[in-house]
Amino acid sequence: MKENGNQVTNVSAASSVTNDDLFVDDLPSAQNELRSDFIESPAAQKRDRMKVVGKQVAHDSAVGHVTGDALFVDDLPFTKNELVVDFIGSPVAHGEIINLNSEELAQLDGITGVFTHADIPGHNLYGPVIQDERFLAEGVVEYVGQPIAIIAGESREAIRQAKKKLRLEIKELVPVFTIEEAISAKQFIGTTRRFKQGNFEKAWSEAEHTLKGTFICNGQEQFYLESQAALAWPGEHGEIQIHSSSQNPTEIQEVIAEALGLGFNEVVCVCKRMGGAFGGKETQAVIPAVMVALVVAKTKRPARIAYTKDEDMRSTGKRHPYKIHYKVAFTADGKITGVKFDIFSNGGAGADLSTAIMERTLFHSENAYFIPNLIFNGTICKTNFPPNTAFRGFGGPQGMANIENVIQEIAIFLKKDALEIRRLNCYSHDERNVTPYGQIVRNHLLPEIIDQLVETSGYRQRLTEVEDFNRQSETHLRGLALTPMKFGISFTTKFLNQGNALVNIYKDGTVQVSTGGTEMGQGLNTKIRQLVADEFSISYDDVRMMITSTEKNNNTPPTAASAGTDLNGFAAVNACRKIRKNLTKFASSYFAAKRGLDPAPEHICFENRDSGNNSSVFDDRNPENRLTFRELVKLAFMDRVSLGERGFYSTPEINFNRDTEKGEPFFYYTTGAAVSEVLIDRFTGHLKLERSDLLLDIGESINPGIDRGQIVGGFIQGVGWVTNEDLRYSEKGELLTYSPTTYKIPNIQDLPEIFNVDTIHNPHHQINIRRSKAVGEPPLMLCLSVWIAVKHALSCVRNDVCPRLNLPATGEEILLRLTELNDYSKEHRTIDFSALESEVSLVVLPSSSAETKATV
Amino acid sequence: MRDYLLIYVNGRRYKISGKRGFQSLSDFLRYDLGMVGTKVVCAEGDCGSCTVLIGRVRNSQLLYEGIDSCIQYLYQLDCSHVITVEGLKDEAQIIHPVQKAMVDAAGSQCGYCTPGFVMALAAMLETGETLTRHSVQDGLTGNLCRCTGYEQIIDAGLSLNQKVIPKASKCYDAKAILADFMEHVVQPVYCEYEKKWNGAGQQVQFFVPAYLEEALEFKQKNKHVTVVAGGTDISVQMNKERLEPNCIMSLTHLTGLEILEIENKTVTVGAKVTWTELGEFCQEHLPELDEIISIFASRQIKNAATLAGNIANASPIADSLPFLHVIDAEMELTASHGTRWVNINRFYHGYKNTEMKPDELITRIRWNLPEPETVLKLYKVSKRKDLDISTFTAGILLRLKKGKIQNARLAFGGVGPVVLRLPKTEEFLQGKPMLPGIFHEAGKLARDEISPISDVRASSDYRLQLAENILLKFFHECSDNQNKKEAA
Repeated sequence: MKENGNQVTNVSAASSVTNDDLFVDDLPSAQNELRSDFIESPAAQKRDRMKVVGKQVAHDSAVGHVTGDALFVDDLPFTKNELVVDFIGSPVAHGEIINLNSEELAQLDGITGVFTHADIPGHNLYGPVIQDERFLAEGVVEYVGQPIAIIAGESREAIRQAKKKLRLEIKELVPVFTIEEAISAKQFIGTTRRFKQGNFEKAWSEAEHTLKGTFICNGQEQFYLESQAALAWPGEHGEIQIHSSSQNPTEIQEVIAEALGLGFNEVVCVCKRMGGAFGGKETQAVIPAVMVALVVAKTKRPARIAYTKDEDMRSTGKRHPYKIHYKVAFTADGKITGVKFDIFSNGGAGADLSTAIMERTLFHSENAYFIPNLIFNGTICKTNFPPNTAFRGFGGPQGMANIENVIQEIAIFLKKDALEIRRLNCYSHDERNVTPYGQIVRNHLLPEIIDQLVETSGYRQRLTEVEDFNRQSETHLRGLALTPMKFGISFTTKFLNQGNALVNIYKDGTVQVSTGGTEMGQGLNTKIRQLVADEFSISYDDVRMMITSTEKNNNTPPTAASAGTDLNGFAAVNACRKIRKNLTKFASSYFAAKRGLDPAPEHICFENRDSGNNSSVFDDRNPENRLTFRELVKLAFMDRVSLGERGFYSTPEINFNRDTEKGEPFFYYTTGAAVSEVLIDRFTGHLKLERSDLLLDIGESINPGIDRGQIVGGFIQGVGWVTNEDLRYSEKGELLTYSPTTYKIPNIQDLPEIFNVDTIHNPHHQINIRRSKAVGEPPLMLCLSVWIAVKHALSCVRNDVCPRLNLPATGEEILLRLTELNDYSKEHRTIDFSALESEVSLVVLPSSSAETKATV
Repeated sequence: MRDYLLIYVNGRRYKISGKRGFQSLSDFLRYDLGMVGTKVVCAEGDCGSCTVLIGRVRNSQLLYEGIDSCIQYLYQLDCSHVITVEGLKDEAQIIHPVQKAMVDAAGSQCGYCTPGFVMALAAMLETGETLTRHSVQDGLTGNLCRCTGYEQIIDAGLSLNQKVIPKASKCYDAKAILADFMEHVVQPVYCEYEKKWNGAGQQVQFFVPAYLEEALEFKQKNKHVTVVAGGTDISVQMNKERLEPNCIMSLTHLTGLEILEIENKTVTVGAKVTWTELGEFCQEHLPELDEIISIFASRQIKNAATLAGNIANASPIADSLPFLHVIDAEMELTASHGTRWVNINRFYHGYKNTEMKPDELITRIRWNLPEPETVLKLYKVSKRKDLDISTFTAGILLRLKKGKIQNARLAFGGVGPVVLRLPKTEEFLQGKPMLPGIFHEAGKLARDEISPISDVRASSDYRLQLAENILLKFFHECSDNQNKKEAA
């Protein structure tokens, strides 16, 4: 960077497009040990000094958000003759459909049509991994809310009135709700996966100490604010255009085509933005999309569906509840010598993404710890709930919660500070760095992060204070815990790790970018705009992100696995570099001709002063002679140079063998740690989060404002999961907590009073787009510090018993555990925990009507 | 008598046929006016995405407050000026400083909750309160965001300098609007029409009386009428199709029910007094109740809901009831033939079954302030501390003399079909010293006097344990206070 007075000028030399013009997907796949050599070119590093990347640019849609001008699906203007669509969902968790008066309903005032599976022209089966789900129930229903029929009408009121005339006859069958019940009934999804390393049996039999127990966690509702929605229009010759609130437009396109018997090229799916998704719109946006597409196909009229929050929560899948039986062998110092985890997830009625989610659980069941001997068995149970699905962390949080619980119990058993156990077992650098699946954890800062956080948070001093407080206070308990986090980045399904982008430059020098990535609030579009602006050394304002459409970007993966920016950002940059190559070639001839020199592309510079509209291009042998970017583009156009290109990117080097369960599934890891302190009311179990300190290695941030939002937002979302978000069902499998009145996500009063969020510089991280790291999912798992802090608090009640604690640690759960500890030695009273010892909460209501009680 | 509603939206006057009165404000904005900046998520007043400013006539002025537009129906909003997120830009289409602050602080991610947060912040500027971290959190308690974790939204709030930022309402000609309203509020609104679907017709009517006499007369004639003050529960029931009232009377324009006074240690609260008003009053006179008011609902709800509504709704977990029971509050029930005062301890006969006759309205509530030698504590246990429906509530009022309990009153909510007084436990405590063992034993007794159920919020076991523990908690808080006093 050179300074001219006050004016800062950034120059990116053209060498970046000649000598070092290595597109990342062109790189030879390096040997494992050469991984650290996989770095961007020096020119690319020079680009880091340019203006836009690394700055806190406002969110791409921020002004639209605050004015209400940013439109979501149900905000789009109604077109004339548009139909409103709703569905008839199953009232029972398991049953056989005997009869539905669909023909009668179709004749009612304002009703245009009622459609069942028999009306689907293509096939009625789908599933992202295993095709086992039906768009509309056929013969049997397998969960409450499962769509049986679609109802299309002229108005919401017409549909509301028609639903009163619904006559649905169903023969109830015996449902299965819990993991235990599913195991008894032998109802599973897929097969049991097994990760193995060393010899667990030997470690167990030779262990100095052992512990065993069961970890139980409930699910979590995504609670995106914009419920599932889709709007479809008829096109020519049976084509369908659909605007879907979906993380996965390509899947929407394909699934609609299959349901309607169309070619993929006859369906276009677009998504401008989602009002939150968090994984809940990765696969499950499909059902509403197919509903409106079918109505369009049947009626040739536009059709719209927008679920109510109640409908959405009742009928869509959630984070998987888990039950994990653990055995751990360890030394007197607390070094883990072996573990065996029998992991069961509650998958719900369909496979959805459960197999991939279980796989990620297996990949994260050791979290940040080296375990020489281990067995992880992962089994998915089929039950009569809506198919559980993706949710930020994707199975990782449950696996990590389990190992953190195990470590805490080792500490309680050994009467040691749990931090000591965590630090002792933490992955190291040159040894003790092999994961259960054989990948080596490289270039990480896990021990350094822990050590720094211990210092900055005053952990040791505070631990003493907390334990003193607990000995003195009759009314309250405090707990303190530090938990680390290591999260693997890449889809563990290899083929999904690809992305493509389309970049068009117009004659006025402005740029449009389209990728397959979808914007759900995470700031993907903002980051891509920044990346593209820097590629041409132009201003952020001259770059515009266009609607995501399968018409422009084909065969794209879902925007998920935190990899949105990695995949689509790289693809966009690759497209830019192709155009830049064209422009540089043209510019070198242009400037050379003026001075009678030889054209030298390596001397062409793109420069942006002040990040304003001051971008120019010149030959550095003659820097006085410049063209504005706009002039260059215009001249290049006149010279018939292509100003639009597609870029492609596929993540290099990743590989995993599911037969051996070994390989290198992740391109890199995002890591961090958190310290949290909680205060518990001994009488009510009420929990207050008093302080949290977070420290993460997210590489070099493309946009610090957005990344801070991801970290804080992810953490608080996780805090909801481990504390107050409590899904409760009736005994018949109806969700009782189906709206924010009863399902309590964190609100603004639930923030820790002291909240420190920081990032650490990792000089070893030299890969990935502008040396950034994925930041979407990882911060969520720092929430485990809060849950473990509760466990720590409970462990201070008495020193002869290890407290039990299920997840979430609601006030009720905490008070029951406190009472259990207080009454431990008293024989005259036993507490009935039966309702809480399952991974799903089934409430025995006093009367048959769940509804009236839910609204007391 | 009018058959139309008069509502201003962003300064523009709308005469709305009474037939459109049975829809929520948010539906009207989104589907009739195409103002889709106002979002609806929960349709039950729990997320705040639909927050708008409402200017209503109070003391001959337009007073602007934030409310949840999804649970305000148009029939409640006659003579209101609604300001939506679309109405925040100034004439030059420059965004309002509140909006700018949210942009600069990266306060939005997906953007769906954002208009609601913007409007809730704008509402804080209307009242001119000082913006601290604490007050911004209070002002935004009614707004849920799933993306941001709120920190950057708080940053946005704290960056505002309310001394220099214009109130959103200042963009509009308040004088002209007020004059129009003053002319109209004295005219009652009545609308009656037939809804027809699939061959069946249903007669629907609503009435917005201008005077109490009209209201009582209407109630006398239409005994099944649903009376709505803030409507924060009824509108939820209507949105969720659990209730489809075909005859509604809104108290919006009634005068004389806004009384809020303290005279000779007797507090009197009119039926139209909102929780916001009562909360401000209690800050000075009844800090214990203020504490409950501050957590039990959001600003948006408290700006609409009333104490009288909380009582009339007859929920066993209504947050005001344990207090009213231990303080021996009385309600004035008014019918066209006269009034009577009824003690709250004799008001509830069973679940949602009250002493109120079909022709009666609650017009006032009164109670005597606790005497100096008494200790009053109120408890609310809920899953989330703020803006959550109670799992368990308790009111405990002890009169102490020389370290002994002269008299005890206990009222627990969420442990039966109505809020329960605990006569056996009260009797046990009488004459006993303030010792932990006494309260431990009292807790055991309390368990036996209640019959909680398991429901969506908690198991009966949890509620029993809370009932037992709350007495010990009370004891410890009292001795803490005592220790603090002695230390001082």
